[in-house]
Amino acid sequence: MSEKNNIDQKKDRIDHIENVLASVAAGDIDARINSDIEDDLSGIEAAIDLLIDDLTDELKQREKMQKEVEDKLVKIQEQQKVIFQQQSDLLELSSPVSKVWDNVLILPVIGTLDSQRTQVMMENLLEKIVETGCTIAILDITGVPTVDTQVANHLLKTVTSARLLGAECIISGISPAIAQTIVHLGIDLSSIKTKATLQDAMIYAMKQNKRSENVKLQSLFTDYDKREE
Amino acid sequence: MNNEMHEKRIPIIKIGNFLIVSIQVDMHDKLAIQLQSQILEEIEKTGAKGVLIDISVLEMVDSFIGRMLSGMASMAAIMDAAVVIVGMQPAVAITLVELGLEMPGVDTALNMEKGMEMLERRLEEEDYEL
Amino acid sequence: MLQLTSDNNWKKLGEHHVNSEHDIVSVRQLIRYYAKEMNMGIIDQTRITTAVSELLRNMYNYGGGGEVHVETGLVDEKQTLIVTCIDEGPGIEDLELAMSDGYTSGKGMGYGLPGAKRLVDRFEIKSERNKGTTVRIMKWK
Repeated sequence: MSEKNNIDQKKDRIDHIENVLASVAAGDIDARINSDIEDDLSGIEAAIDLLIDDLTDELKQREKMQKEVEDKLVKIQEQQKVIFQQQSDLLELSSPVSKVWDNVLILPVIGTLDSQRTQVMMENLLEKIVETGCTIAILDITGVPTVDTQVANHLLKTVTSARLLGAECIISGISPAIAQTIVHLGIDLSSIKTKATLQDAMIYAMKQNKRSENVKLQSLFTDYDKREE
Repeated sequence: MNNEMHEKRIPIIKIGNFLIVSIQVDMHDKLAIQLQSQILEEIEKTGAKGVLIDISVLEMVDSFIGRMLSGMASMAAIMDAAVVIVGMQPAVAITLVELGLEMPGVDTALNMEKGMEMLERRLEEEDYEL
Repeated sequence: MLQLTSDNNWKKLGEHHVNSEHDIVSVRQLIRYYAKEMNMGIIDQTRITTAVSELLRNMYNYGGGGEVHVETGLVDEKQTLIVTCIDEGPGIEDLELAMSDGYTSGKGMGYGLPGAKRLVDRFEIKSERNKGTTVRIMKWK
């Protein structure tokens, strides 16, 4: 009788073990066997509890690590956003167009030109021309180490577009290296006014200004002469 | 159909020696061709020495209108009138260049005032040469 | 024959007929509206509008008019405006020639196709003799 009882009790305990294992497998990591009977089964029960403990620890650690990784990812994404923002800010900043004299705009370009930056620069310059009504724009590329075909074509496009608006665009500061590249690439800059230095370009711009002012003065004089007659 | 086209006629104004045309509508092709002959007829009728064409409100100039404008300039030139295209928007200029229409030989000005100065200067210079 | 890029996830914005010069004007104005709605920059708006104007004129002059489908969706992971011009005209005999700069087949239209191609990010053309021509252009935002 007691033998049978004993077997039933063991069966119950094995069922209990099965249930606990099933709950753990289902995700309830707090489930334990917690048996207080001391016999030959209790060793196995204790071992299973220990294994579950280890598993739980590992799971918790993994979750912690995963959370850390996710946090880091969010941080990186935020940083990337900042970098993108700064890049576009820099793009705007790196092409400051300023009016330096009556009728004269200057765009000093410093650093390597890529296709995108040249495009932004071109748009800025053209908009500024329309905004200020300046008819002469100097594109100074003294600070540009080298250009490729695409960039050279963008520069060419800028000058041609400026002409369509009614302004003259002069390129100054073409380095020997850039001159060599442009000619080797077979790009024709002959229709474009180029000046050796920014100073030469400024002198040219002043002369152009003076020329149109002279004509204005001349027409004033002729008006005056006519009235005198 | 015919009536509609007449309604949309673009006005040509004469001031002094010059004609002033301000294109305010997105032109269809026939209207563009019509404007071209209208301006040439007006040059003949008035003996104008210059034409200012203001396109500052045009948001788009495609190859047809672009060619109409540059053709117009060459035709007027052989009738002894100079054409100045005034007020082209930057986006329009970039698009025209990319399209391959650089309009060489067509004079341009940033605004009406500068265009007018340009035409006056041209007349002065011509007088001076004589 | 070249296959046109397409995607079931593209959203249809509109379908328009082009049967007169007035249609050319109103459809190109609609294209600018769609481009503006997509928050395209002013220069890109002008580029796509001008390119469409060139295509519509070709379609009207040589293809006897046709249909324009406007869609938006992702192409190469970029938000894109897609415009497809379909005509049932005579088709283009020599595509390579028609796509080369300075080519004109009569009424002084040299810039049409190659010009439009330069203004957009992707240009696809399919033409069959006596069946018609389909041009699909795409512009990223």
